[in-house]
Amino acid sequence: MITHSDEGPDFEPDDPLAVILRPTTDYLGPPPGRYEAVRRAAARRRLLRAAAGVGAACAVAALIALPLRVSPDGAPVSPTVPLAPPPASSPSTAPTPSTPSATPAPVSPEPTDGARPDSSPGAPTDRTVPTRAPSAVPTPSIEPSEVPNSVDAAPERETRP
Amino acid sequence: MKRSSEKAASELFAALYPRLAGWCRRLVDDDETAHEIASEAFTRLWARWSSVAEPQGFLYVTAANLVRDHWRKLERERRAVHRATTEAAVRPQTEQADPSVRLLVQSLPERLRVPILLHYYADMPIREVSVLTGRKEGTVKADLHAARELLRAHLRRSLDHTL
Repeated sequence: MITHSDEGPDFEPDDPLAVILRPTTDYLGPPPGRYEAVRRAAARRRLLRAAAGVGAACAVAALIALPLRVSPDGAPVSPTVPLAPPPASSPSTAPTPSTPSATPAPVSPEPTDGARPDSSPGAPTDRTVPTRAPSAVPTPSIEPSEVPNSVDAAPERETRP
Repeated sequence: MKRSSEKAASELFAALYPRLAGWCRRLVDDDETAHEIASEAFTRLWARWSSVAEPQGFLYVTAANLVRDHWRKLERERRAVHRATTEAAVRPQTEQADPSVRLLVQSLPERLRVPILLHYYADMPIREVSVLTGRKEGTVKADLHAARELLRAHLRRSLDHTL
């Protein structure tokens, strides 16, 4: 079967390699209908591969097209970034402290109430003075109702003992 | 597919299938498996008929890879059964009729196996093997020589082992 005279085999006929590399002498004929079955299987596989290729192409096209369609609306917005105006002087600052002061206000009475019984001798007079001054400035509406009560109650408790 | 290529495919099948299936039977020692492997090789060939330049070489290389997969599957099954049952019950099934041929596909690396298959079994001259594998003729000759030496060493070792 194989007679490549120009190349020449590298083994003698009695070489054990000749057993391995000897040409195939036995033939195995195809069963009836095998050719048609193989042709049908190949056609089916070709079809599947084509469908997979089309699907992949569509997916890639969609992946490319979607970002392109979305981006034009958002892209030109970036140059109009001017951040200049926002700091608009004092009126804006006034309301901002008012909201945080509302939260500190209820908090401050609690520690002062808790601290007063413990440190009754000299501390209460020092603490009540600074709490009145800052709390009264930012929140005129909320604190007056709460602070005076606590301040009025504190001296009464302290003075009794 | 056109009528001319249909005819070419039919002729190729008639010319190559019996030899390829016979070669597979020599490797797997089972007619049904040999038919399956040869049929699968032809199916893969015709599924990409237009892009295969050398059908004969493609068939043999594909069949050799399928045979190797079949052996691996057998080996996995043998190990699984061996784990479950005794060794004596399993061993006779794994022996091949021609274990020396098994060396050809199993012991050689891919780089050396392909030229041997194409040259000795697909009956292709070195010139065609070099074109098909994209290697120079000198490289193909060197690969064939290296493959033969490797096979010789394997054979010697197995002979020493049996003696």
